[in-house]
Amino acid sequence: MADLIPFESPVTKTYDFLQVGTGKEADTPLTLSDLSSTGKTILRADPEAAERVGVGFGASVTVGDLLVSGQRPGEWRLIGPIASAQAFVDGLGLDGFHSVVIHTHSRAMFRLTGERAASALEKVCSLDWSDDMTPDGAAVSATVARVTCDIIRNDDSGVRSYLIACDRSFGQYLFDALVDAGWEFAITVTPWWMRTGNPPSR
Amino acid sequence: MSRLGPQPGEVIDRSEPIDFTWRGRAMSGFAGDTIASALTANGVRIVSRSMKYHRPRGYMTNDFWDPNGLVQVGDDPNVRSAHRLLRPGMTVEPQNAWPSVDRDLRSANSLAGRFLTAGFYYKTFMRPQKLWPLYQKVLSTFAPGGRVDLDTPHDYHDKRYAHPDVVVAGGGPAGMAAAAAAAQAGARVMLVENHHRLGGHLLWGSAADRALTAELAAEAAAAGVEILTNSTVTGRYDDNWLAIVQRSHPISVERLIKARAKTLVVAPGLVERPYVFAGNDKPGVMTSGAVRRFVNMYAVKPGSVAAVFTANADGDAAAADLERVGVEVAGVIDARQGQNIVRARGGAKSVEGVASADGTRLDCDLLVTAVGWTAPTTLLNMAGDRPVYDEAAARFFPSAPIGNVLAAGGIAGDGPAEQIVEHGRATGRLAAERAAVTAHRLRAATARAVPPEGPEPDWPADDRAPLGRDPHPALFRSSTHGIVDFSEDVGSKDLIGAAAEGYDSVELLKRYTTATMGPAQGKLETVNTVAVLAEARGETIAEVGTTVWRPPYAPVTLGALAGRIFEPVRESSIQPWHEAHGAVPTMTGPGISVGDELGDGAQGSTETPILAGQWVRPDRYGDPEEEVLNTRRNVGIIDVTPLGGLDLRGPDVPKLLNLVYINNWTNLAVGSVRYGIMCAEDGVILDDGVTGRLEEERYFMTVTTAGGGTVWEWMENWLQTEHPDWRVHIIPTTTGYTSINVAGPKSRTLLNRLVSDVSLAPEDFGYMRARTGTVAGVEKCFLWRIGFTGELSYELHIPAGHGLHVWQALLDAGRDLGIKPFGLEAQRIMRLEKGHFIVGQDTDGLTKAPATGLGRMVKLEKDDFAGRPELAWALEGDGAPVVVAIQPTDPQIVPEEAAQIVRPGTNQTIGRITSSRMSPTLGRSICLGQVLPEAAAPGSELTVLLVDGRRVTAKVMAHHAHFDPEGERLRG
Repeated sequence: MADLIPFESPVTKTYDFLQVGTGKEADTPLTLSDLSSTGKTILRADPEAAERVGVGFGASVTVGDLLVSGQRPGEWRLIGPIASAQAFVDGLGLDGFHSVVIHTHSRAMFRLTGERAASALEKVCSLDWSDDMTPDGAAVSATVARVTCDIIRNDDSGVRSYLIACDRSFGQYLFDALVDAGWEFAITVTPWWMRTGNPPSR
Repeated sequence: MSRLGPQPGEVIDRSEPIDFTWRGRAMSGFAGDTIASALTANGVRIVSRSMKYHRPRGYMTNDFWDPNGLVQVGDDPNVRSAHRLLRPGMTVEPQNAWPSVDRDLRSANSLAGRFLTAGFYYKTFMRPQKLWPLYQKVLSTFAPGGRVDLDTPHDYHDKRYAHPDVVVAGGGPAGMAAAAAAAQAGARVMLVENHHRLGGHLLWGSAADRALTAELAAEAAAAGVEILTNSTVTGRYDDNWLAIVQRSHPISVERLIKARAKTLVVAPGLVERPYVFAGNDKPGVMTSGAVRRFVNMYAVKPGSVAAVFTANADGDAAAADLERVGVEVAGVIDARQGQNIVRARGGAKSVEGVASADGTRLDCDLLVTAVGWTAPTTLLNMAGDRPVYDEAAARFFPSAPIGNVLAAGGIAGDGPAEQIVEHGRATGRLAAERAAVTAHRLRAATARAVPPEGPEPDWPADDRAPLGRDPHPALFRSSTHGIVDFSEDVGSKDLIGAAAEGYDSVELLKRYTTATMGPAQGKLETVNTVAVLAEARGETIAEVGTTVWRPPYAPVTLGALAGRIFEPVRESSIQPWHEAHGAVPTMTGPGISVGDELGDGAQGSTETPILAGQWVRPDRYGDPEEEVLNTRRNVGIIDVTPLGGLDLRGPDVPKLLNLVYINNWTNLAVGSVRYGIMCAEDGVILDDGVTGRLEEERYFMTVTTAGGGTVWEWMENWLQTEHPDWRVHIIPTTTGYTSINVAGPKSRTLLNRLVSDVSLAPEDFGYMRARTGTVAGVEKCFLWRIGFTGELSYELHIPAGHGLHVWQALLDAGRDLGIKPFGLEAQRIMRLEKGHFIVGQDTDGLTKAPATGLGRMVKLEKDDFAGRPELAWALEGDGAPVVVAIQPTDPQIVPEEAAQIVRPGTNQTIGRITSSRMSPTLGRSICLGQVLPEAAAPGSELTVLLVDGRRVTAKVMAHHAHFDPEGERLRG
């Protein structure tokens, strides 16, 4: 029955217009999407399980409809359908102590896409987003606008793109901070409410 | 008007006139003008008054460092008018003058100048001490600077991080060449130039100079260099962490860039030094660079008749420029020929002539000095370099190369333009090579990075051909005295006097006299200060040494430093509902104005929400006492999502719980929950909360609102440092669940309407039990029979993506039961009625578990646990204050929280009130407090000292619970 109940995104604020930036630097599009309802699963196991998982700390790989990221030593984030995540873990045949925790509701997740995405991130996060230091597939943990986040560089058809996840309760704040950071690059906010199509007034 | 005809290198756009006002008078300039060039073009000579003596001042260096050019522009004080570009409609006013800059009554200070020497304030206003407030009031009226308008809205100050391979500080020929060469070698390069355009001294030079500028700028741009003009590298810190203030970004007045550069190239060029002689601060005395900038860049004639005192080619060029544009050059006094000047003649408001050492007198309204340069080694100093004085060249030079900080161009030596450019290129290439080695190391050490190829390259050697050092006459002070620090009004006499008083170390002298501490940050004054001190000490400049230049390179606005202020706020999934239904967050007192976030018309309120653990929470929806009574009578719901939540997995979880909690967790059954107190190693309460066993190897721990992160780190610390062998995984899930407490005698009735797969009958689901079930169609919810209010209550933990749905379903289903939401204040009242303490409010940094009346929970028979030895001692009676329930004798008096409890008839404190409220349930005041054991026995009479000074009596109660001490309601 829960499937019939719409997922409530932590991002509920409405904006007056979809494109919120100045437009002055809109040489390439920059978009921010709310993907909070995407399935998220945590796998905790011995760091040496990386060989079986297929990816170690600091990197990510796509396995079917899952994105598997080595977010911390011994901790992986499985992003995609919960059933796929469970099947993936089952298929690993892990024999040591490990835990699988569904984390969908715990994390807000956004996708920031565009050639200027790194420039926008530079305004709120101190990491080096160059291709050498944070290539496509890189997985990091860092504070974004003073909120602890998991960030995965996950380019979209060759266009620079980042998945940014934080504690759900910070979701609205972080979304606002990213919109603000992307303002000078004419950021476009794609449909942001995941509720019923009628975002609640705030 | 002093505007010249078109000049070949002018940077003004004559097709775009700009109107502005100076002291209310309408004037005009052109796009590209600075305020200084526009004022001078309009014939303005006196632009400010000096700080202490209020002497008339005109432009002296006509650049960023000009100490005489600070003006008020609109509501913007202390604007550097020789740098700030003219904008349409600017209202420019002088500052530091009253009633006007032409007639400043405070210039009477000059008459007392002989008494206003260094240290005057320190010596004069020390006694009598009681008059200091009066002194302070009077002296503050003499404080220099512009007006700060407190009503002016804050400007937007942006912030950005950057990780360039190479940062080049300085966009002159060497800097441009270095940046281009580094970028051509594959480095990511940021070129930072203080001025509005690249070029450095080439900007006011010859046609060939301008051509070279254009060529180098184009080369840098083509190589992909990120060029930041009107920007300053204000500080260099460890590992080349650089603070760069960018004043040229379109979206904000200033942007602070925090850059981590692999290599820093310091190429700021040289700063032309003023000369110290009598009358050297009269309006009309200028450096050669100032004159050349006025003439060549802004097409402004700085005077009618000039005398030029020169010791170098730049002075010669200034004389030539002046003659070219029709300024009569009355004479050139050539220091290279042994000539010298001793005095600028004329009144205070303008120079009228100059007297030379040989007795020659020239009439002029413009006196140009070209006596040499200072190498602004600030950024090198910050990297550890200590400049060394070269007597032949009469200036300081960097002492030794530093691995990832390289000096280029004029700061490192002299030479023709092509040689300077080549030095820049070589420096750029070396910077790129060294940056590549650093990048190799970084990538090898960073898991997420692209692994570097091959072994780490050798550290590139510095094989640059060094620049030469041109000999230059040592000209600092003439035979007369003059101003050394124009910003601070410090003269050479002041320095010599201070040295005679014993302040004869250059660092002490600087602090005592404030020389070099003004807006020019020593760029103009340091070497002259050192020279005067050397003279006073009878030593050489090399022996005296120089002061250490520290950040900032140039003064930084507070706005740039504050930058973007990120203040994360956490919200539960129900927060939009709370706001839409009039919830009032817990507020502070008067503070920063906030908007109308709640839509309640409270825009402009001077209160701000109090954030506990960064959460914004509803304090109340209406009258909190009504909320209490409704919950006690019917049913109420409260959003308790902020309670910290941790998912614990693994067979060794009981071991961990036994270690961090003071009570026993070995036998907690699946489906049960237990209250626990967590103590630090000193036995002091760290946190408290409830943990439930959901499955055989799965537990869910709740902790206090602000304690989630602390407890997580605390347990991980134990696991990772002491017990890495334990099979436990901790996953924080605070925001994974929306937590709702359903409380009140009708709570079971309400939940029976919404919970589909769990029996809520008391015999099936008793107090302190946990179940997993479906609530309002949402599966996998945790239901706990616990509560903080003392009522029959259930704590629901709903997957957060459905939290608002369940909240709304509860309200809909409970309408006929009188359901109402209640806020934090009502919960605080009810928990106080029930006698539950709050960690951090009723306990403090010294409160151990036994002091809360829960000593029975301490299980010393356990093997070991955090705080055990201290708790064993506390259980024996350590004499520390204990938490007790207190009721004032007068039931209408509510003592303030933190009111002191004193021994009768004395002011000797024996405790304090920690929580107090008027209980709507009991109709009287109730409290919790901490008192010494001697006064803690039930029935003890206490004296409470109220804030207004009254003393009231109160009694220690037998139970912490003021209401339902037997717990019949919550167990019902």
